[in-house]
Amino acid sequence: MTPAISVSKLSKHYKVPEREGGMKAAVASLFNRKYRTVKAVDDISFSIEPGEIVGFLGPNGAGKTTTLKVLSGLLHPTEGMVNVIGYEPTKRSHDYLRQVALVMGNRNQLSWDLPAIDSFELQRAIYSIPASEFKKTRDDFIDLLELKDLVNKPIRNLSLGERMKMEIVGALLHRPKVLFLDEPTIGLDVTMQRRIRAFIKEYNQRWGATVLLTSHYMADVEALCKRVIVIHHGQTLFDGELSRLVTQFSSFKTLGVTLPNPEADLSQYGEVLTRDGARVTLRVAKSKTSQVTANLLSDLQVDDLTVEDTPIDDVIDSVFTSTEEAK
Amino acid sequence: MNPIKLALTYLRIGVLNEMQYRVNFFIQLLQSFISVATGLIGLSLVFGQVTTLAGWSRPELLAVMGVHLLMGGVIRSIIQPNMERLMDDVRNGTLDFALTKPADAQTLISVREFRFWQLVDVIVGMVVISIAFFQLKSSLGIFQLLGFLAALLMGGVMLYSVWLMVTSISFWVIRVQDISNLFEGLYAAGRWPIGIYPDWLRTGLTFLVPVAFAVTVPAEALTNRLDGTSLLFAFGMTILFVIFARGLWLLGLSNYSGASS
Repeated sequence: MTPAISVSKLSKHYKVPEREGGMKAAVASLFNRKYRTVKAVDDISFSIEPGEIVGFLGPNGAGKTTTLKVLSGLLHPTEGMVNVIGYEPTKRSHDYLRQVALVMGNRNQLSWDLPAIDSFELQRAIYSIPASEFKKTRDDFIDLLELKDLVNKPIRNLSLGERMKMEIVGALLHRPKVLFLDEPTIGLDVTMQRRIRAFIKEYNQRWGATVLLTSHYMADVEALCKRVIVIHHGQTLFDGELSRLVTQFSSFKTLGVTLPNPEADLSQYGEVLTRDGARVTLRVAKSKTSQVTANLLSDLQVDDLTVEDTPIDDVIDSVFTSTEEAK
Repeated sequence: MNPIKLALTYLRIGVLNEMQYRVNFFIQLLQSFISVATGLIGLSLVFGQVTTLAGWSRPELLAVMGVHLLMGGVIRSIIQPNMERLMDDVRNGTLDFALTKPADAQTLISVREFRFWQLVDVIVGMVVISIAFFQLKSSLGIFQLLGFLAALLMGGVMLYSVWLMVTSISFWVIRVQDISNLFEGLYAAGRWPIGIYPDWLRTGLTFLVPVAFAVTVPAEALTNRLDGTSLLFAFGMTILFVIFARGLWLLGLSNYSGASS
């Protein structure tokens, strides 16, 4: 099967003007501007199969948005090849743009003063969607996201979450085959995040769409993506199944111990993470987990004991910190 | 995508939306009234001193005022709102949305906004022109009318092109918000036929900010001052402005990388 998205040795470098603070430097930079090259993306390769939902992870400034912008045709790659469903995005051919969608959680495209239903009409005109297909898709989406009572209100009267739902409907009315979602749930409450996640999943299953998603909420990633690509400083750190990320990068487990004697010192067993009354959590090397557990149970009187994998957030965090230290 | 159909869809939705805010209609009417009143006071002050101004009689200058008002209405209802939105989009990075649409980006950014009530100025301008004609006691021939409409259209296209060029600068400097004010100031100069201004200002108002083509030339067409050569020259200038504007816009686009990364 040909991949839906293939990126090979992609680099995107920016030239940014650089100056020191202060008046003198500001005036000097008017005449003699110094530039610094920022490697937003530096030699990234991956490919995504049709219908896959892939999570694109990395801290702020890692190069996620830049990659998404290259894929959606907004930026020209400095080097490397990019192909999405048989098109070269940079050419921005109308045929290509008709089949993709870019959703940015922190920016709105729907007109502030118009009710969403009118903005949808504009989308229809831009994408030349046939009337019957448009109406069906629109009403389906409105049902799925429970927006019926809101579509006639001006966007400015909606809550952040309602607005985001409208944005997603607007962005997907033309039933794109490929979705680039940049932080689609940013700033939303848990219920709203869950609703949007469910919608993305539904869309993906119903239309077989390929989805590349960035999010800082690991819950989004865990719910939607089997596979993740982790990038940092513009380079790929990991590309594979989410579960493998945990085993590969987490060499620790978390032990939760409840003791009748809250004063007991447990530092000899592992690194004490939290202490909340009688409940203590410990970080223990994976290889020593069974040994430490046995010791705890034999040495102390224990009311309750749990062994857990490190939460995914912490795993990601440790991936980034470990590469920082390696540098 | 058919650009005309797209423009009409935006127009329709813009009108429907503005209909909800009827107060704007009355505010606009009041504004038009004030600008007509101050214009008339200006005219009577001038003609208290002289009988003609650079060869223009009083009713002819009234016609110039009418054209100025009419074109001002076109600018404020279509050109200015679209260009201001473009500036905002460049600054906020929301231009990304326009650029990921399967449509010519220049067309798209030029038709998105429409301030319906500003068209009041267009109507009032036409009324003022009619009154001027009534005072001139002359009739409007068909060629005169066609010449006037052609000059008006070309003037409008030139003004649009200049706005687009200036707005395209926002791709490099991001903050061009004050441009609107500057432009308004220059456009105000068009209230008088540009023949009254010194050479250097006349050149500027012709080739840099084509207020001359937008107001004086159509008014000349109305008052039988315009010959075919001038109209042809205006046509050539229109083509040049359109080409330059398109070029600068495309250059700006290639320089655009969206706000933040």
